[in-house]
Amino acid sequence: MAVLKVPSSLRRYTNQQSRLDLSASTIQEALDHFSASSAELRNHLFSGATLRKFVVICKNGQDIRLLDGLSTPLDSADEVQIFASVAGG
Amino acid sequence: MSFASGPASLPNLSPGELRRFGRHLVLPEFGLEAQRRLKAGSVLLIGLGGLGSPSALYLAAAGVGRIGLVDADVVEETNLQRQIVHGHSTLGHLKTESAAARMRDLNPDLRIERHDVRLNIDNAIDLISQYDVILDGTDNFPTRYLVNDVCVKLGKPNVYGGVLRFDGQLSVFDARHGPCYRCLFPEPPPLEFAPNCAEAGVLGVLPGVIGALQATEAIKLLSGIGTPMIGRMLVYDGLDLSFDTLQIAKAHDCPICSKAAKDIVLQETVMVCAAPVGRSISPGALQARLKEDKELLVVDVRNPSEWAAGRIVGAQGWPKPELESALLQSGAPPLPKDRDIVLVCQSGMRSQAVIRSLVAAGYDSGRLYNLEKGMAAWPGDVQPPDT
Repeated sequence: MAVLKVPSSLRRYTNQQSRLDLSASTIQEALDHFSASSAELRNHLFSGATLRKFVVICKNGQDIRLLDGLSTPLDSADEVQIFASVAGG
Repeated sequence: MSFASGPASLPNLSPGELRRFGRHLVLPEFGLEAQRRLKAGSVLLIGLGGLGSPSALYLAAAGVGRIGLVDADVVEETNLQRQIVHGHSTLGHLKTESAAARMRDLNPDLRIERHDVRLNIDNAIDLISQYDVILDGTDNFPTRYLVNDVCVKLGKPNVYGGVLRFDGQLSVFDARHGPCYRCLFPEPPPLEFAPNCAEAGVLGVLPGVIGALQATEAIKLLSGIGTPMIGRMLVYDGLDLSFDTLQIAKAHDCPICSKAAKDIVLQETVMVCAAPVGRSISPGALQARLKEDKELLVVDVRNPSEWAAGRIVGAQGWPKPELESALLQSGAPPLPKDRDIVLVCQSGMRSQAVIRSLVAAGYDSGRLYNLEKGMAAWPGDVQPPDT
């Protein structure tokens, strides 16, 4: 199963777990699976079907915009990272 | 990549500087020439808060020749949990004044230029054009986008750091060689998704980690050593103590760096809310309803420390993080679903986000009210925190 790394700001949706094992064949499936339990989390990541413009998704350390976007395939050895813009300084 | 011209034009080091920077000079990868490049170089620090504090100290100590400081704020007690360039002795002083004194104590040869202003659309080009490397230590999205846009327009490297809670980010945005900030984040988040450190919290040492890394990148850029973080984003997780380095992409349709410099027009970034959910209630209307409707429930979602100034008489305290966590648990709902509820925070932003969470958890949006402009505009009575 692919592993999703959860940033601390989103861990209240995962019982404070920082890594989730997800059965998914694409990034889209992984994010659908991840956000299925909370409409609020879904709303944080997506505006309709589009990934929000302050959220970046990487597969194995590479921005999925350099790959096939949300259709980027996943296999069991892959790691998915999520990060969002933060303004604090 | 470095900014000074050939070694012949670089300034010499005095005998005192040769002693002071001896630990640099013995590094084979650094040596005398890199130190002379630092002395010839300049950095503009925008923001002297959590990120700017360690950056200011390390850049001063390292021997950068000229450092500009941009900040219009004064030092407050709540800053001292993380803003280590300041101290009790400088409470109430301008941050530029406070930082400059400490930096001069570290390195009396340093040339410091104070700019006691907020960076804005009218002064940004003039300020940024005067320096080789720009270090973004700001604390809000509009200024971050302005720093980015001016750096792209002027062809300056922007050493970026961002922090919140336990997470930090670092990159070098240089649109001549890689992506800019807008390639990565074309738009700021809606306001309810964009808490600042005062609202969401920040572990005090976190900006120390990221700010020190920003100083490292600035030193590398000025001295010409190593490989700058252009096209890469370092993501730091303080809870797991992990560092991930991610490859980030230049966007060919970037609204800023895909344009020629002369065509980049600076614009104020305006933070907006997503479409509001639920209903809103004015302070006057709430005062009237409180007199006649004993079933009306008022819930204050601010942090306990914010209740110290008092809250609306009879209001329940439910800090936003705790209430949102409770909504995700199974079992009895944390708030009744059969009453009208008024959500209150300091400005109306967090309470709007809580209404969104309540609706997502199955509450009727028609029974949820957001107090317009929050406690900042509340004209009525308040009860002290312990009653």
